[in-house]
Amino acid sequence: MKNKSIAQLGTLFVILFAILFARQIYVQVLAGPAIAARGQNPRHALLDQYRGRILAGDGTVLALTVKNKRVYPFGASLAHTVGYTSQRYGTAGIEDSYDSALTPPDTTGDPIAQLFEIAAAVTGKSAQPRGADVITTLNPSIQAELSVRMQAELRGAGIVLDPRTGAVLAMSSVPSFDPNEIDALFPALSIASGSPLLNRATSGLYAPGSTFKIVTAADGLESGIINMQSTFEDPGYFVIGNYTVHDDEGEVPGFLDLTGAFARSSNVDFAQIALKIGVATWYEYVAKWGLGESLDFQLSAERDRIPRRDDVFPGVLAQLGFGQASLLVSPLRMALVASTIANRGITPRPYIVRQIKRDGARSSFGAATLAQPISPETAQNVKKMMVAVVQAGTGTAAALPGVTVAGKTGTATNPAGKSHSWFVCFAPAQAPRVAVAIIVENAGYGAAVAAPIARNVLRVALQAVRD
Amino acid sequence: MSVALLYRFLPSSAALVIAWFLLSLAPPRTIGPPWLLMVLAALALLWVGLQPARGRRDDILPALAIFISTLGLLMVARLSPELARKQQLWLLVSLLLVVAVSPVLGRFRTLASLKYLWVLGSIVMFALLAIFGQEVNGAKLWIRIGTIQYEPVELIKLFIVFFLAAYLAETADVIAHAKPWSLRANLKYLGPLFIGWGASMAILVFERDLGMATLLLATFSAILYVATRRADLVIGSLAVFAAAAAWAVHHFSYVQTRIAVWHNPFADPLGAGFQASQGYYSLAAGGLFGTGYRLGHPGFIPDVATDYVYAAWGEEFGALGALLLLLLYLAIVWRTLVIARNQPDLYTRLLAVGLAATLGFQVFIIVGGVIGLFPLTGITLPFMSYGGSSLVANFLLIALVWAMSAQKSGHDETPRRDTSLSMEHGSNP
Repeated sequence: MKNKSIAQLGTLFVILFAILFARQIYVQVLAGPAIAARGQNPRHALLDQYRGRILAGDGTVLALTVKNKRVYPFGASLAHTVGYTSQRYGTAGIEDSYDSALTPPDTTGDPIAQLFEIAAAVTGKSAQPRGADVITTLNPSIQAELSVRMQAELRGAGIVLDPRTGAVLAMSSVPSFDPNEIDALFPALSIASGSPLLNRATSGLYAPGSTFKIVTAADGLESGIINMQSTFEDPGYFVIGNYTVHDDEGEVPGFLDLTGAFARSSNVDFAQIALKIGVATWYEYVAKWGLGESLDFQLSAERDRIPRRDDVFPGVLAQLGFGQASLLVSPLRMALVASTIANRGITPRPYIVRQIKRDGARSSFGAATLAQPISPETAQNVKKMMVAVVQAGTGTAAALPGVTVAGKTGTATNPAGKSHSWFVCFAPAQAPRVAVAIIVENAGYGAAVAAPIARNVLRVALQAVRD
Repeated sequence: MSVALLYRFLPSSAALVIAWFLLSLAPPRTIGPPWLLMVLAALALLWVGLQPARGRRDDILPALAIFISTLGLLMVARLSPELARKQQLWLLVSLLLVVAVSPVLGRFRTLASLKYLWVLGSIVMFALLAIFGQEVNGAKLWIRIGTIQYEPVELIKLFIVFFLAAYLAETADVIAHAKPWSLRANLKYLGPLFIGWGASMAILVFERDLGMATLLLATFSAILYVATRRADLVIGSLAVFAAAAAWAVHHFSYVQTRIAVWHNPFADPLGAGFQASQGYYSLAAGGLFGTGYRLGHPGFIPDVATDYVYAAWGEEFGALGALLLLLLYLAIVWRTLVIARNQPDLYTRLLAVGLAATLGFQVFIIVGGVIGLFPLTGITLPFMSYGGSSLVANFLLIALVWAMSAQKSGHDETPRRDTSLSMEHGSNP
C-alpha cells in the first residue's frame, strides 16, 4: 500500500527531470543560436581577437588585432577609410562595411563545428577560425603624401583613383582622429565642431564650383550645342532675370573660344553654355553621368544632391553651368568625373577592397563600368582643355616637369564663409594612371591651395605607380 | 579478502580513479596539493570501509556522491582557483564528518526519539539567522562566524525531515484513517505536523528565501503523502502555500523582480536581468556538445560558482553533459527511494523518502530556475555548487541514506529484488 506511494514519488521525479531535460534542449539547442546571436552577448567581443586584418595593396598592414586590441598603424591618416571598431561606439569605414568578413565565424549552435573545435583543443591546436583578411587597393606611399598635405589644412578631403579601373589609391579627410584611441575620443569627437568623424572624401557634399565646368563643357560638346570652335563674349558680367553672373575680381576676359573660356574659367561663358544646353538636356546628361545616383561604392558614400527640376529657372541653370546653385557633390564624385575624361568617356565604378582572403578561399573585386556619359571624342576634347588649364590657365600651380597634367580649378562660394578651394586632375594626359580630387574648405581660390596639393600628390603617385 | 569486499570498494574506487583523471584536467595550481588529494581519497575509502556489510547495502550511492562532488570541484576550479582551494577544504570537512559519524549512523533509529530536538534546533537556527543573518540580494540566508559563513537552511532541511518522519510514523495511521471532515481528529494529529509547513512559511516571510521555502514545502508534502496517502492534505497545504507565495509576490519587491526577470531576462540586460541573461548566453554557447572543459566563458555570470554552476556546466559540457548530470541526480533519488522501499518499518521508510525528496526537489528547483523553467531562487545545486554548508549537509544526507541501506531488513532476511522501484535507472556513473 505505502510502497505504491513511493513508486508514485519516483515516477514524479522521473517526470520532473524529463521536463528539465526538455527545457534544457530547448534553451541550449533549439533557441540557443537565437539567444547567442543577441547583441548583448559578451562572447561576440571575445571573437574580436581573431578578427581579420586590413591590408594595403602591397600587403602593408592597415589594421590588426594585438592581444585583443585593434591596432591601426596608420592612425589618423586612414582613420576614415579603414575606420574603427569599438565595443561601445560601433564600427566605421572598412571595419564597418566588411565587418562580417573580418569577424571570425561563430560556431555557436553548430554541433559539428563544436565537435571539431573540441577535437582540435584535445590535440592542442587552436581550432578558432580567424576572420578573413581584407585587402585594399590603397597605396601606402601615395596615402602618406596625401595625408601629410591634407593634414596641413584645417578641413578638407582628397582622393586618388586609378582612372582606368576606379581603384582607390589613397583617401584622406581632415580633421581626423586617432582610431587607436576611439573609445576615449569618441564622446568628444561626436560633438566636436568640424565633424572629425565624417569621411569628407566620400560623404562630404560641396558645391563643385568651376570644376563642374568639365561636365558642362562635355555635355555641350556631346550634345552638339557647342563645338571647339564656338566663341563667347564675356564682358565680366551677365544679367539674367534678376540675377547677375560675375567673373572673379572684376575680370573682363572679352572674346574667348571654348578652350580659352575653360582655361580662364569664365563663369559668364559657362552660364551662357548652360542656358544653351537647356533644362531638358541638362537633366538628360545628369542621368547619363549618374549624378545623384548611387556610386555603388564598397564604403558608405553620400549621393550627389541635384536640384529639383521644378526649381531650375534660367537664373539657376546659368549658375549650375559653373557648379553653383543647389548642386552638391562629393570629392569622390569629382575624382570620378576626372576619371571619366581620362578614361575615354567611361566612368569606372570606384572600389577600394580588392580581395577578401580567408584561409585558402579568396574572393576578388575588379574594374567595372559605372556609366558612359560621353563619347571618347568628347572626352579627348575636354582633356585638351584640361591640359590647357594647367599649361596656361588657372591651374598652372599643378604643373609638373616632364609630365602633361590635365586639371581644373574650382572656387566654390558657399554661405559659410570663404570659398572652398577645389582641384581635380589626372596625369599623364596621354596615358592617364592617376586621377586626383582635392578640396580644402574655406581656403579661397582652387589655384592657390588645392592645386599645389594636387601637384605634390600627383608627383608621388606617378612615381609610385611607375615602380 | 573476499569477492564481497572487492565489490564493496569497486564503485567508490572507480569514482576515485575517474576523479583523479578528471581533476588532472583542471587548471594548474587549482587542485591539490597532492597530499590533500591523497587524504581525501583515503577518507573516502575509509568511509566505505567503515560501513557495516549487511543487508542490501547500496555501494553505488557514495560513489555517486564522490563523483558528482568531483565534477563540482572540477567546475569550481575552472571558475575560481581561490574557491577551489576552499571547496577542497570543505570536502575534507565533509568526509571527516561522515567518517566520524559512520559508527553511530547505524543507530539512526535513535533520531526518532530525538524528534523534538530537531524542532528546537531548527527554531534556534532560525532565531540566530533572524538576529545575526547577513542580508544578501534581499534574502537573509547567511550567518557569519569570523571568516566562515554558514547557511543554516541546509541543516534545517535535514532537521525538518528527521522530525516529520518521526512524527508521521507515529501518527500516520490515525491521520490516514481520519475522515477529512472530522475536524477534531485532523486538528489533533495534524497540529504538530504543521511545524514543517510553518517552517516553510517562516523561511518565506522572515528569511525571504522563496527557494528554500518551496523546497521544504515540497519535501513536507512528499513525506505527508507517502505516510498518509491523503491527497486532500497535500493539495490543501500546497494551496495555502501558493496563496502565501502570491502574497509574497505582492509584498516583496525582490520576488517581483525575479518574476519579471524570469518572464523576460533580456528586458533589463545590464540591471536586474544581468545574471539571468548571462546564464542564457552561457547555456546557448554550449549547444548540444558544449564548448569543452575550460573552452567556454561562463565567467561572465555573477555568482557562477554557487547559483549558476549548472549554467557553467551546461556551457562547457553541453545539453548532453547536462543530461548526464541530471541522470546522476536521478540515480541518487531513485536509489534512495529504493532504499526507502526496502525499509522494514514506517519510520525509516519515511526518513529515506524525505531525504530523497529534499535532494530531488533541490536539484529540480535550482536547475529549473537556471534554465528558466520558473523564476530563479538562490539555492545550491547539491555537490556541484561551491559552498561548505551545502556540501556538508548533502554528504551527511548520503551517509545517512547509505547507513540505512546497510540495515538488515526487519521482516525479510533474504534480499529480494523489488519490482516497482529497483530498475537501476541510470545508475552507473
